[in-house]
This record gives sequence, structure tokens and C-alpha cells, in this order.
Amino acid sequence: MSKMKKRVMSLLVVSTIATMSLAACSSNNNAENAKATSDNTAEATNNAGTNNAGTKNAAANGADAAVADLGTVIRGNKTPTQEQQDEVNNTTNDSYLADMFDQKLPSNYSAYPYKKDVTLDIWIPANSNIADMNNQAVKKQMEKLTGIKANFISPPVGQEADAFTLMISSGDLPDIIMEPERYPGGFEAGVNDGAYLDLTDKMEKNAPNYTEWRNSDETRRKTTITDSGKVLGFYGIAPYSEWTWFGMLIKKEALEKTGMEVPNTIDEWHQFLLKCKEVGYSEPLNYGSTYGQIFTGIINGAFGVWDWTFLDSNGKVQWGPAQPKAKDYLATMQQWNKEGLLNKDWATADFNQRMASAISAKTAVMMDSPDTMWSYWKQQNNIDFVGALNPVLNAGDKSATTYKNFERTGRSAAISTKSKNVEAAMAWLDFAYSKKGWEMLNYGEYGKVHLIDENGKPYYPADSYVYKDPDGQPVSTALDKYRMHSWPDIRDEHNSNPLIVAEGSYSGDIRKNWTENMDTSMAEPPITFTQDEASREGELGNQLSTLRGEYFAKIISGELPVDAYDKFLKEAKQMGLDEFLSLHQAALDRYNQR
Amino acid sequence: MEIIRKSTRSILKRDFKKNWFAYMLAIPVLAWFLIFCYGPMWGILIAFKDYKPLLGFSESHWVGFKHFIDFFEGPYFWRVVKNTLLLNVWGIVFGFTAPIILALLLNEIRDGLFKKTVQTLTYMPHFISIVVVCGMIHIFTADEGVVTQLLQFITGKDYSSLLGYSSFFRSIYTFSGIWQNVGWECIIYLAAMSAIDSTLYEAGEMDGIGRFGKMWHITLPQIRPVIVILFIFAVGGLMASGYEKIILLYTPMTYDTADVIASYVYRRGLRESSLSFSTAVGLFSAIVNFALLWATNKIAKRNSDVSLW
Repeated sequence: MSKMKKRVMSLLVVSTIATMSLAACSSNNNAENAKATSDNTAEATNNAGTNNAGTKNAAANGADAAVADLGTVIRGNKTPTQEQQDEVNNTTNDSYLADMFDQKLPSNYSAYPYKKDVTLDIWIPANSNIADMNNQAVKKQMEKLTGIKANFISPPVGQEADAFTLMISSGDLPDIIMEPERYPGGFEAGVNDGAYLDLTDKMEKNAPNYTEWRNSDETRRKTTITDSGKVLGFYGIAPYSEWTWFGMLIKKEALEKTGMEVPNTIDEWHQFLLKCKEVGYSEPLNYGSTYGQIFTGIINGAFGVWDWTFLDSNGKVQWGPAQPKAKDYLATMQQWNKEGLLNKDWATADFNQRMASAISAKTAVMMDSPDTMWSYWKQQNNIDFVGALNPVLNAGDKSATTYKNFERTGRSAAISTKSKNVEAAMAWLDFAYSKKGWEMLNYGEYGKVHLIDENGKPYYPADSYVYKDPDGQPVSTALDKYRMHSWPDIRDEHNSNPLIVAEGSYSGDIRKNWTENMDTSMAEPPITFTQDEASREGELGNQLSTLRGEYFAKIISGELPVDAYDKFLKEAKQMGLDEFLSLHQAALDRYNQR
Repeated sequence: MEIIRKSTRSILKRDFKKNWFAYMLAIPVLAWFLIFCYGPMWGILIAFKDYKPLLGFSESHWVGFKHFIDFFEGPYFWRVVKNTLLLNVWGIVFGFTAPIILALLLNEIRDGLFKKTVQTLTYMPHFISIVVVCGMIHIFTADEGVVTQLLQFITGKDYSSLLGYSSFFRSIYTFSGIWQNVGWECIIYLAAMSAIDSTLYEAGEMDGIGRFGKMWHITLPQIRPVIVILFIFAVGGLMASGYEKIILLYTPMTYDTADVIASYVYRRGLRESSLSFSTAVGLFSAIVNFALLWATNKIAKRNSDVSLW
């Protein structure tokens, strides 16, 4: 008997070991692309406890026969009563909101509260700032206002790509899929293969707000339709093109110490950097990094040598690195590098190393996002800075950038072919494109998070939850916690991002100034490729970017002479540069035909 | 023929009756191999298809050798293959011998406390995450980093960040790998050494061979089987390469020595989730690896009595 016991025990032990090794061996080390993309917001990773910004579920969901005008009581009201708060938060009455944009926001609430009791399943990547997606404040408010329950299904952070593939291959799809462009070959490929519904014929009837909003402006219409005229899903669309978010940033003290003006031409920049070196900045310009900031179009753009594809004066697609003045650009940079004007580790520095040199006494100028530098320079080290327009070659030229936001922001959403509640799913998504949806998703709950000023514009008061979180979370976390930062909606980044509109913050002003004073006519619009084109474009693009990165970095560092550029151009042509351009041209022509 | 088969079966039957419990113990292991190693092998087929998750396995279209041809005809094919092989050759020449040498040295130490301290210190880095290790490498090889300063002191030349020189990449990659894993990998050799019969050493003493003589004539031949087997494994990994460490360390400046098969495929995967392409490349590497493993095993069999099969 005891022998038996021993045997059972050892069997258990062996099975345990087997399971353990199984777990260890089959754990999929999914190193998600660790590219440090400079986010528009300062990075912050920490988790808040779940937060129930729940107002008491006041029974105010009855459709009012006549919508009362709330303008007089809500506008300018700094201390709304609970009753007034409920009126704003729990009904679709939007009479107190002003029209702030060139186009009027839609206000079609006929579908709400939804007639049937429906719960939608929604696949959505988790946000590391939110402990429990299903408890997100705005999500709960949307449930109240639309009368449609939503159940978020989120994969573990960092395993989105695998989880997405598994979900698609299982064929068991939820009602709504966020970020549908994860499908191999893109969004349209997903529709062609039968994963997502083509919503073209249903939009008018089931998504009146979205339809009205996308058609209210030519750019919005064009970027939300396919080459063949289909409307596939719900895209995040902004009322305006969002501001450029990266460029030249100069420490204020560097201007004071050198006694010079903000430089404009390449020559002025050269003089300025030399002077900076004289007054003690040993590596005045922080140039480039491993995540590709060597190509930002900031300096190279002055020579017309854009990072990648752009449109020439005839509206034809061209490749920046192959432009005639490329040698001048490379020679200039090689020279600057020799003179010690660039940080020594420009070819290898990672994000942390860049930020460490940014706050050191070595650096005078950064090429980065003002939002990021606001956090590192101003907030953490009290270093003031100013933004400079992208350099130009000759005095009198207009600064330019190939970065342009074509009023397309935030996220996209698709409805799956397996959804049994297509109509409800569309109604739920459509709410985000109504005026009320715009207010709730961008500015969060009325009363605790935002108020309405005399003119009917939402704003964050000083004691708003986004600035003074009861759980003590920083603003960079609260902006995800109390509002929807990235969503298929009418994203109002400029007025509702608490980091931009914060008291005393000037990173928004810099971005605004850049956007208003730079030429973006050469920016390539968001074209789409067919499935066959996409795979070929991906292959060629990858080879060309490897080639470009290598040659440009080596020439600038002086390892290769400037004349090596000729060899680079020859190799690029052999690789298939012309074919690459013709793929882009074909896609562009189709885009223009939309 | 008939008789033999019968007898085999009856032998098996008898053996099973006698040792049924040992067979039971093997079940979880066998199941694990079947489910997790042999089950997914059908997935290799997607290398010859244009795989689409939604259409699933059987419905995706066949494209034959298209993905292989794409890979072989790419302008960087030879470079990434060469870099993969060379990095692994460096790994074998330096990384494979280092733990053996460390084990031999540790084996000579009789002082328990000192030995334990050294062992702990050398195998600790094994537990640091690769991302952290790469962060440390970045710091140490920065233009004012410890390693860079040391190099400047020795050579008298002025260097900027060492990760910017393609000629240094393999050394940095290999030696940081040794630093991280040498203590861990020498444990198996130490274990093998502890099993050596001490009478051999006594006999050696009688014959008057010194310390190094003992190492060379007794310790090394005694642990030879372990070394050979591990060497066969190492050669079988010549075409394998993890991309995590590479992509954390390389830059366009060092592509010509640092860009390996895995990192090249990874960059391609960034632009398009090309599952079929990655599978094709993985299959190609696996076939080459298997050929190498087989060849090494054959050579080992011919020249020594140790082999995998």
C-alpha cells in the first residue's frame, strides 16, 4: 500500500515537472516591437486601482418629449448641482454645447436609448494606464447614454499581435474589432477575406452621425473611403488636421548665452551651433538616434531630401533620399559631425541616453516632440525652451515638412462578419460621432472632469479629476482614465488633451506655430495598396530603408566619403526603386480618383 | 520473421508487466512531445502557402516556393546568412570554450567559500533580462562608458560609442554573451567533474604529473562525452539566432556585421505581418541546422565513441 502511495506521489511529481517545463518551453517570447515611438504624450506607465467615477444611476433615461434648453443653466456654471450634472451626464440633451468647428457636429440621437437589450463583445487592446478596461469611466457612461452594454475583451499587454491572429484563425469573432488594420494585408484584406463586414450600404441608415460627419469635409470623406468607394468601418476623424508634433527645440538659456536669434537658414543654424560650442555646450545638437530620428525631415528637408516618399511640384511621388541635393545634405552633416556639433553617440543613443544628454549641460538643441520635452525639460528640470521652424536652405524660403495629419487620428473599428447585432454595434459606435459623444469621449464626465464655459465650450477646471486625481495618478495616466484618448470618434486633441491645455503649458503653442507656418504640400496622403501591392511594397520598402540607413549613417559619420552616395543611388535603382515608386504612384492616382 | 516479431511482442509484454510503472512515468513526457512538438509541425506547410488566418490552414492558397525565392533573391541574403553564421562561429570559438575553462579553474580550487562566491557571481547575470543587459551594454560602451575608457587607455585612440563601429559588433555581442552565461553553462561541466573517480588523480600523482598534467590527461578526457554532446548541439544551432539581443544593439551603422536572418525577417514583419515568409525562412534555417547537426554527429561518431545517435 505504501509502495502504491510512493508511486502515486512520484507520478504526481513527474507530471508537475512536465507541466512546468511545458509552460516554460511553450511560453511565447513575443518581443513586441520595442521601438520607442515618441508618443504625443509624455510617457508614463503605472497602474491605478480601478476607479468608479460612477454617479448614482439617476433614473433619468426617459426620452424627454421636448428637449429643454440647458444653455442658460449649464454655460458658465462653476458649481453645478447633482441634478444638473445628471441632466448632462445621463441624457442626450446637448443644447448647452457651442459649435466650435468649421463644420457642425451631428446631433442625431434617435437610436438612443437602444430599443433592445444587447450586450456587445468588443476586442480591444488593453491600455497599460487602465487596470480594468471594463470599468473605464467613459465606457460606463456610453452604456448609460446609448442603452447598449459593452463587454471589452482585451489580450494581455504585449501579446496583442498573437492574440489577434489566434482570434481571427479561431473564426470565433466578437461583434466589434478595434484596430482592424492588424489583419495581415490590412483592413481591406480583412473585408475581402470575410473577417469584417463591408458597411457601405448600412452606413446611411444605421450610422447617421458618422455618415454626416465624414461627408462634412472633402478630406474626411476621402480618407475614410476605399479606392473602390467602399466604406469599411469607423475611423477616428478629427475636426481639423492635428498639429505637427516634432521639430527643432532650443533651450532658452542657449539663446541668452549666445545672444543670438532663433536661426532659420542652414547657415544661420551652423553659426548658431558653433557659437553654442564656444559658450560651453560641448555637443550642441542632439542629432538622431537608434529609432530613426536622423531622418525626420527637419534638416534634410531643407535640401529637399525628405526621409521617404513625398509629392514633387507636379504631384508625382518621389523618393527623398534620391533627390539631387542629397550630396549637399550629407556633406553638410559630415562637416557638422567633424566639427563636433552633434552628440557623439548620435548613431547609437537610445531614448534614455538621449534624454540624459538633453538635460545635461552638453546639449543646446533637441530634435523631438515638444510634449516629450515639456515633461523632461520643463516639468522635471525647469529648463525653458522655444521651438524653431524647420531650417530652410535660402533666406526667404518657406519651412516645410512632409508630416501632415489628414484629419485621421485615434483608432479604427470594424464590425465582424460573425456579429449577430450589427445594427446595435453600429449604433454604439455611431454615438461617438455625435455632439454628446464628442463631449463625453474627449472631456469625460461633466462636473467631476469638465465644465462648460460661458460660450458653451468644455474645459477642465483647476480641480478637475484629470489634474487632481483622487487616486493620485499623474495627468499622463488620468488622460486615459477619465476620457477616451484614442478612439473611433471625433478626436479633439488640441482642446481636450489635458497636457496641452494645462495652465502654463506651451508645447501646444509650439506645435500650433509649426503647423501654421510650415508648408505641407509635399506630404503623401494616406494611400492604400491592394493586397499584392502591399506585400511587394513592404519587401522593397524594407530593403530600401536598410540601404538608406546604412549609407547615410556611414557617410555622415565620415566612415564613407560623400561620393559613396553615387554607389548608394545605383544600388537603390538595382533594388527596384522605380518599381517601388510606381506602386506608390498607382495607389496615389487611385486615391485622387476617390 | 514471424517468430521474431512474436517474441519481440512477448518480450515487450513481459517487460511492460514487470515495469509498468516506469512506462506510466514516461507518459506525460511522451504526451508533451506529441502535443507540443509533433502536433504543430503541420504548421510548416504555411511556408508554401499564402497563409491567411481566417481561411485557415487548408483553405489558404498554395504558392509553392515563392517565399523561399523571395528570401534567396533578396539583395541582403548573403550578408544576413554570413552574419548569422559568423556570430555563431564566434559563439562557438569563444563562448563554448569559456565555461569549460572556468570549470577547470574552479575545479582546482579547494577553498569552498571562495569557490562558491565565484560561482554565484558568475552565474548571477544569467538571470538578468536581456533588455536590461542590453541597456547595460549601451551604458558601458557609450563614449564615456567604462569599456570605452578602458579601450582608449589601452590603444591611446579616441573612440565614440563602440556600438557605432561595425568592426566591434561581434566582439561586443559575443563577450557580453559570455559574461552573461559563462557561470551558468559551467555548472554542467562541474557536475561532470565531481563524478570523476579520485583514484585516477592519485594514480596521476604517483606518475608525477603536475596540476596542468592532471587537467589535460585526466579531467578533460573524463568529461569529454559531455563536451562532445554539447558541441554537437552548439553546431546544430549555427543557423539559429535570437533577434531580441540583436535588435536592441544594432544600428544602421553596424548592419553590415550585425544584421542577421532573424532581424532581417523581423524588420520585414514590421511592415507587413508576413507569417508565411517568416515560416519559410525558419524552415530554411532549421533544415541547414539539421544538416549540420547530422554531419557533426557523424564526425563525432567516427572520431570518438560519443555521439547523439
